[in-house]
Amino acid sequence: MEKLRDEKGGKIWAIGGGKGGTGKTFIVSSIGTYLAKNRKRVVLIDVDIGGANLHSFLGISRPKKSLTNFFDMGTPLKDLVVKTGIGNMSLITGDIHSLASDSIIFTQKLKLFRHIMKLNRQYVIIDLGGGSHNNTIDTFLMADKMIAVVEPEIIAVENMYHFIKNALFRKLRMSLKEYGFKEIIDHMWEKRERYKIKNLRELIGCLKDSFSYVGDILDREISGFKIYIILNKVRSSQDIFIGSSIKSILLKYLGINAKFVGYIEYDDSIWRSVRERRPFMLTYSLSRSAKEIEAFTENLIQGKEMRLMRS
Amino acid sequence: MSRKDYKKYFEILELDPDASTLEIKSAYLRLRKLYSTDSIVISPIADEFSKKNRRDILQQVDESYAKLMVLLRNEHSKSRYRQKSLASDKGHMGEKADETTFSGQALRQIRKNLGIHLYEVALDTKIRIEMLNKIELEKFDSLPPEVYLKGHISNYARCLSLNPEKVTDDYMERYRVWKDEVKDKV
Repeated sequence: MEKLRDEKGGKIWAIGGGKGGTGKTFIVSSIGTYLAKNRKRVVLIDVDIGGANLHSFLGISRPKKSLTNFFDMGTPLKDLVVKTGIGNMSLITGDIHSLASDSIIFTQKLKLFRHIMKLNRQYVIIDLGGGSHNNTIDTFLMADKMIAVVEPEIIAVENMYHFIKNALFRKLRMSLKEYGFKEIIDHMWEKRERYKIKNLRELIGCLKDSFSYVGDILDREISGFKIYIILNKVRSSQDIFIGSSIKSILLKYLGINAKFVGYIEYDDSIWRSVRERRPFMLTYSLSRSAKEIEAFTENLIQGKEMRLMRS
Repeated sequence: MSRKDYKKYFEILELDPDASTLEIKSAYLRLRKLYSTDSIVISPIADEFSKKNRRDILQQVDESYAKLMVLLRNEHSKSRYRQKSLASDKGHMGEKADETTFSGQALRQIRKNLGIHLYEVALDTKIRIEMLNKIELEKFDSLPPEVYLKGHISNYARCLSLNPEKVTDDYMERYRVWKDEVKDKV
């Protein structure tokens, strides 16, 4: 599937990861604040199905108009943009009736992305919220940078694998559709018992073995499928390795190129700032966590991985 | 053979081709542990990711590490040669690095500076973690007899890419001082 690129160099980052409560919204607000503080024009877009509450992290009240107005009433997108109280950064909010529903078809979403790019921002950061809903995944796949947040905890890791596998499956299916081979992948997956396929890895293997031309497409698409991993709520130095372990498993199990860009240590001042409805990156700008957020945001900008070894 | 020819092995260990000796060792230990034990990153996918898949990966990891060790040994002997000629050129400059005395405390500090955890040393050397801890803390009274201890120290030194003879000499020297003191008291 083709990424939407802006001629003016705007970049769309989508932040998801499968499980709720891993700190995605906090991370979106913090990355945004950091970029805005560095004089980048940023718009945050909240499409969290489980309840859009990005505004709370910025200490502002719920915007009156949401993406529902854009979809249902054709309200121009620029009328939905609200100020965040932080210079250079604005917010568009979605709600349960907008991107969450299946009634929003793909072309409408493309239209939304086109209009987003017209807002003339350097960075567009999308908070996808939790879940591996198709709608969430399609939005994830449209972004320039696909970022997954996980915490060192088994359910979060499991949900993230599920999320990434779903995303890869949908991406492969869409690309094969472009080449007119969608039936092959659908057929093989439907009749998976006959082909002795139990999972995505085996499906990819079986497709490659059976049709070499499909194999070439798959190889190309998989190598272009890049995931950036952020590990949140780290409690020990051993936890940090979980980020690189996940990266390793995605690579060795599915051939996916993931980059572990950084982590945030568990920090009480984070929930304090959320409770007090004050932007963390401004209130606690000198804290260790704030420095960690700055570090992985820089890594994201440069597409770099964090280096594990301390010198 | 240069590093370019080893690209494949660096990739398997998930490293950049300019990785340091320590990064290589640490990556090897980490991957070995990751694919040989159950953990919160493996178990959610364990039903799809069979034991056999994991064994194959371990085999590749082992092979890559062995190949890279050969590369490093070659690089090392080349740089040793360079250092030697440099040292003879500039008199005593080359001796500076040998001034450290490798006490338990010093070993611990070096290990920590390298960002290597004790369990990684344990995995690499097959020495129990409790024993390694006692070695670092110089709990001489609970360490094994001298012959075994020497072997342990030498392995530990190799794991940290230190000169095994120098480390063993230093450490055993301290050990003997303690032993003599105990003897004197009795």
